[in-house]
Amino acid sequence: MSPSPSARPCVPGDTARQARLYEMYKTFFDKAEEERRWNPFRDIPYEKINAGVPDSLIVVAETFCCVESYLPDYVSKGINVVRPYFGQAWFSANWAYEESKHSVALLEYLLRSGRRTPEAMWDLQTRLMRVEWELPFETARRMTIYGCFQEMATFVIYVKQEQTAKTQGDECLATIFRLNARDEIAHCRFYEDVVKVLLEEDREGTLRDIAHVAKHFQMPGVGIVPDYDARVKIMREEGKVDRAVFLQKVFFPVLKYLEVTRQELQQAVLSDREERRTHAAE
Amino acid sequence: MAGRTELLGIFQKTAAEIVEREFPNISEKTAISELGIDSLGMLEIVGSMERQLKIQLPDEALATIQTVEDLLNLVEKKSGPAGRSAV
Repeated sequence: MSPSPSARPCVPGDTARQARLYEMYKTFFDKAEEERRWNPFRDIPYEKINAGVPDSLIVVAETFCCVESYLPDYVSKGINVVRPYFGQAWFSANWAYEESKHSVALLEYLLRSGRRTPEAMWDLQTRLMRVEWELPFETARRMTIYGCFQEMATFVIYVKQEQTAKTQGDECLATIFRLNARDEIAHCRFYEDVVKVLLEEDREGTLRDIAHVAKHFQMPGVGIVPDYDARVKIMREEGKVDRAVFLQKVFFPVLKYLEVTRQELQQAVLSDREERRTHAAE
Repeated sequence: MAGRTELLGIFQKTAAEIVEREFPNISEKTAISELGIDSLGMLEIVGSMERQLKIQLPDEALATIQTVEDLLNLVEKKSGPAGRSAV
């Protein structure tokens, strides 16, 4: 799906958008500092690890650690896409700090539980870094939309796994999942608020991009995390995440927050399809 | 009001148009996932069937659709005289 011809490009010097994104960043940062900062070495109850949890839960923790470990790629490539917009670029820098704690906490858990050796984890890190994550979409608008769905999906999965960890009597892992989830939903809300601005500026184009991103959406670990399909199968079984959950807990809630109806989105898809057919016929 | 066989035919034709391939051997028991149709594809198919049949299905019900039968049940329920909404 090509960008709508009427799409307003992201250009430096777009004063109104710069001002709004900066205000949004200030609010986000201030709230994060007041309510959400945590230390992965001091604020996690590692003494409450249940070293006897099932292997499947360890695989879940390790898989999250793997996905979060591509942070250097997420940050370097993601921040460059939004570079022209101070507020969103500075959000990305803060996002990087917050996300960095997720993998550290999970790594510490895996090591301190004794379920993974340091050698195994550093070997895994080396293997992970042999592959680079690439941007799934090329524009700032599409990547911001992607952030909405990806952060919401990650939040939902973390919340479900928190419940599993609690059921398995591992208060430490439950705490890590809870703190990570809290960060993810805050990230999702920022992205959603940016998309609301984009919808105000160019509703048709943004709707087409929302449809495009939803159609081509994949979680970031696909194709890069070793044994990803097998890991996801375990995560889905552990957390009971399937298509129904994606629609109920991710897709429709994001649309609702953006005040976009399913019918509007479908109309955007139809319009785009017609336009492509017309262009192909010319 | 379209009969069940007709509804299945509408689904087959609509799915083929949207996903751009044929589904010759669909039965009501077929799981949507077996057809290789992703979540957004299914929503597009539902949207198209809504327009064709002049009905509107509630968003919360769409997440429960696992099989073709589930979808046709929802459509049939809405297509009946008491189920039609003003579209």
